[in-house]
Parts: sequence; C-alpha cells; structure tokens
Amino acid sequence: MEKFLKWIEEKFMPPMARLAEQRHLRAIRDGIISTLSLIIVGSFFLIIAFPPVKSWADAVAPNVGKILIPFRMTMGLMALYAAYGMGYSLAKSYKLDGVSGGVLSLAAFLMMTIPVNVDGVLKKAAEAGIQGANPIGWALPMGNLGGAGMFAAILAMIFAVEVLRILKKYNVTLKMPEQVPESVSRSFEALIPAAVIIVVLWFIRVWLNFDIQKFIMDIFAPVKGVAGNSIWGVLVPIFLITLLWSAGIHGASVIGSVLRPIWLVLLEENAAALAAGQPLPNIAPEQFFQWLVWIGGAGATLGLAILLCFSKSEYLKKVGRFSIIPAIFNINEPMMFGVPLVMNPILAIPFIVAPLVIGIISYIAVSIGIVGRFAINAPWTLPAPIGAYFATNGSISAVILVIINILISMVIYYPFFKVYEKKMIEEEKAQIAATESTLNM
Amino acid sequence: MKVLMVCSGGMSSAIVVKAIKQEADKQNFPLEIKAVGTGEFEDELKTGGYDLAIVAPQVKHRMDVFKEQAANANVPIELIVPTGYTPIGAPKVLEQIKKYSK
Repeated sequence: MEKFLKWIEEKFMPPMARLAEQRHLRAIRDGIISTLSLIIVGSFFLIIAFPPVKSWADAVAPNVGKILIPFRMTMGLMALYAAYGMGYSLAKSYKLDGVSGGVLSLAAFLMMTIPVNVDGVLKKAAEAGIQGANPIGWALPMGNLGGAGMFAAILAMIFAVEVLRILKKYNVTLKMPEQVPESVSRSFEALIPAAVIIVVLWFIRVWLNFDIQKFIMDIFAPVKGVAGNSIWGVLVPIFLITLLWSAGIHGASVIGSVLRPIWLVLLEENAAALAAGQPLPNIAPEQFFQWLVWIGGAGATLGLAILLCFSKSEYLKKVGRFSIIPAIFNINEPMMFGVPLVMNPILAIPFIVAPLVIGIISYIAVSIGIVGRFAINAPWTLPAPIGAYFATNGSISAVILVIINILISMVIYYPFFKVYEKKMIEEEKAQIAATESTLNM
Repeated sequence: MKVLMVCSGGMSSAIVVKAIKQEADKQNFPLEIKAVGTGEFEDELKTGGYDLAIVAPQVKHRMDVFKEQAANANVPIELIVPTGYTPIGAPKVLEQIKKYSK
C-alpha cells in the first residue's frame, strides 16, 4: 500500500495535474466557476416555484411562470454567461485583453444560433383570437443558450480566442497612432479578429446551413449518457478523486475541472425537466456526489470524524474534536492533514472503498426511484442532510439515505480506524515512556 | 508581516489561518494573514502588498502557476508542510513564515 501511494504521487498524479492545468481546461473551469453564483441563486427559484409542501405548492401554482423568470435568465442562459467567462479567462492566460476575449467568444457562440422571426405566425394566431399572440420581432431560441449549448460555447470560445491570439501573433491587427488612448486602440485591435470570427461562423452556419450546435450535441451525447446515467459515471470519478486525495492532492479540483462542464449540463437538464413538470432524466450530476457520497468532504469522512471523537488515542481524539464541526459543513482538510489521511497506507483503503460502496448504493437508490434526483445547486457547505433535501427539491428519502450512508461509512472505516488507533496509542505510550525515562535520569 | 495563503476554495485555509494568527499572537509575532481561493490569488497578490505567499498542500499540483504569479508580483512563495495544515499544526507554519521575516 505504501508503495502504491508513492506510485500515485510520483507517476499517476503529475499527468493528471498537467491535464487539469492545461490552459484550455483551466479557462473552461474558471469561466464556469464565474457563473456558479448565478446558477445557485437561479436554481433556488425552482424551489420557490415547486416547494416540497403540497399546500405551499398549491398556493404558488398560479404564479409559477413569473417565479421561474430568474431561473430562466440564469440557468436557462448558462452557456451564454460561460462563453464570456471562459473567453475572458483564456485570453487572460495568453496575456491578451480579457474583455476582448470574452466579447469575441460570446459573439462566436451567438453566431451558432440562428434568430427567428415568428411574427407572421403570431399575427395569424392573433387574428384567430388567441390571447397574447402579439408580434415580438426577432427572437433567439433559448433552448441552445442553456446547458444544451455548453459544449458549443466551449468550442466557440476556443475558436474565438485562438483567432485573436494567432492574428495578434502574426501582427494582423489595425495599428493606431500612439496618441490614441489605450482603451480605444485596444478595441481596434480586436477589429480584424472579430471580422474573421463572425464571417467564418456566418458562412458555416448560415450559408452552408451546418447546425454546429446540433453536431456538437450529437458528439457529446454518448459521453453525457455514460457520465449521467451509468454506474461508471459514478464509480470512475469517485475512484480517481479519492486516489488523488490519498496522495495529498485536491482530487475534486483536478477531476472536476474535466468533468464539471458535463455535470453542469446534466444538472441543467434536470432543472429544465423540473421546471417543465417532466421526470428528471439524469442520475449523477455533481450534486449526486456532493450530497450522497462526499458526506463530510471527499472520502465520506464525516463517519470517520465521529469515530475520532471517541478515540482512545489522545491525539486522534484531539483531531476529532477540531475536525467534527468543519466536517459537518463538508470541509475536511483539517482531518486530511491532521489524522493524516494523506499518504496513510492503512486509512487509504476505507478512504477509497467507503465512497465507492455508498456510491453504488446511492446509484441504485436513485436509479430505481426510491430517492429523488438532483435538480438544484445548493451551496456545498450545507450539512449533507439539509443539502440533499434542497438539492433534490424536498426528497425525504434522500435525507434518510444520507444518514444510512454515514452509518455505512462508519462501519467500513471502523476496522481500519481501530488498527490505526492501536498504532497511535502504542506511539503515545512509547513517547510517555521516553519522557519518563529522561525525567528519571 | 503580511502573508497571503492560497487553498482551493479559501474555506479550509480560513480555519488554518485563524489558528496561525492565534499562535502568532501568543508568541507576540506581528502578523497579518489572509486566505483566498486559487481564483483570487493573483489579483490579491498584486494589490495587497504581501511579504510572503504560502500554498496549501492539497493544491501543490498548481505550484508552478502560483510560482509564476508570485514572481510577477515579486512576492516570495512557499509550500506549507502537510502536517502544518491543521489547527494544531499552526506552530510549524509559523516557523516557516518566520524564516521570511526581516
């Protein structure tokens, strides 16, 4: 086991870290993180629109359309915000102007969506006496601007910023005289890249009539299927994240930067289904892991924190005491480096196995429908039962499953904890004996 | 002395920072210390006038990026020893910090 941990640290971790630090992936991660506040706030309007108590639900029912507007303007336009944020980050990483990068990616993304004009249809409908069928002018279909458009947004962003970078590198820019203020000359610098980006996408999308959005969605459909609705989509991320953590690396930050765009798309599909009153399609967006598996933090360590509090080893008890409160709020670094769980050949086994076991149980429970599915992005520092309740929009069985999972993790940790505890007590005794013998001298 | 700590989200480091501050007060060592997540690190470093940046052990895979950012801001940077990254490990980190105090 010790050799194995060493292997992870020396051989497995560096390529994974390099992948997570890859420039485009980093831009995607940072850009998406910049939209999270909107997604958290927006998704809370879903809870207001569909409260878990029946009498409240009946009371708000007539106003659901109005209540959902903030949700539609945030989560429903997720890819739009992300396109800007990602473009900004990527441009910054090349030391280019961030705002230009953001605006160009936004334009590239929007060029992939054709606006429509349905006034003719609306006029006929109005004549036929249908209420609310007033002409609206040109409209942009929102369907592709939310989670469904996320992969297209990523592609648009990379295309736009790379065009900006390459044209700048070969000096294909409009040069302003030196007297022109910098902010003005910067906007002119983006002129040729903007023209190239818009004309290229216009040609592909409008004249070749090639539906880039649909093409990309079709490519990613199988990936999405595996991630969202298969046992591998649950087990592989759990295994990789715990493996990295047991070598001392923030696993979720590495693996998440690759998987978060997909997880977010899965969540958005669920949220959109909830808003439309349809069954939720996906089992495993990130919230599945957050609330059912990472109870107390990566490795499902809340159960271990409870065991530590009652340890016979003075040291472990002390670690338990200062770890238990943060653990309730899913912060477990004090334990990771205090116990320590990092590079610990004994505790690495339950640290990896417990989340895998409760992951399997949770997958089964959610897939057969005993436990509700996740549609809401609740802040990750909520205690797990409360977070699970909100994130599933009021599934009581999810709360019960959280408690069962804590108990299961305690059972799995227990034998390994005992072995480690025994080792610690022996060390403590040896230390006391050593100090006593020096005192007696 | 002014120190900036960076961890993944700025949450766990807040706990550690508090412990380090208490330890510094106990030892009468003048210390101003703040924790941020990886996203805010670069900007904070540029504007904050820090004497030292310290990096939480679980984000050591980003050390190269941090090093570059710290070099740009002209601030020395050091990785915290893993055993220091707990509330009771504060004295160890304080020792690391003190090495840089003039």
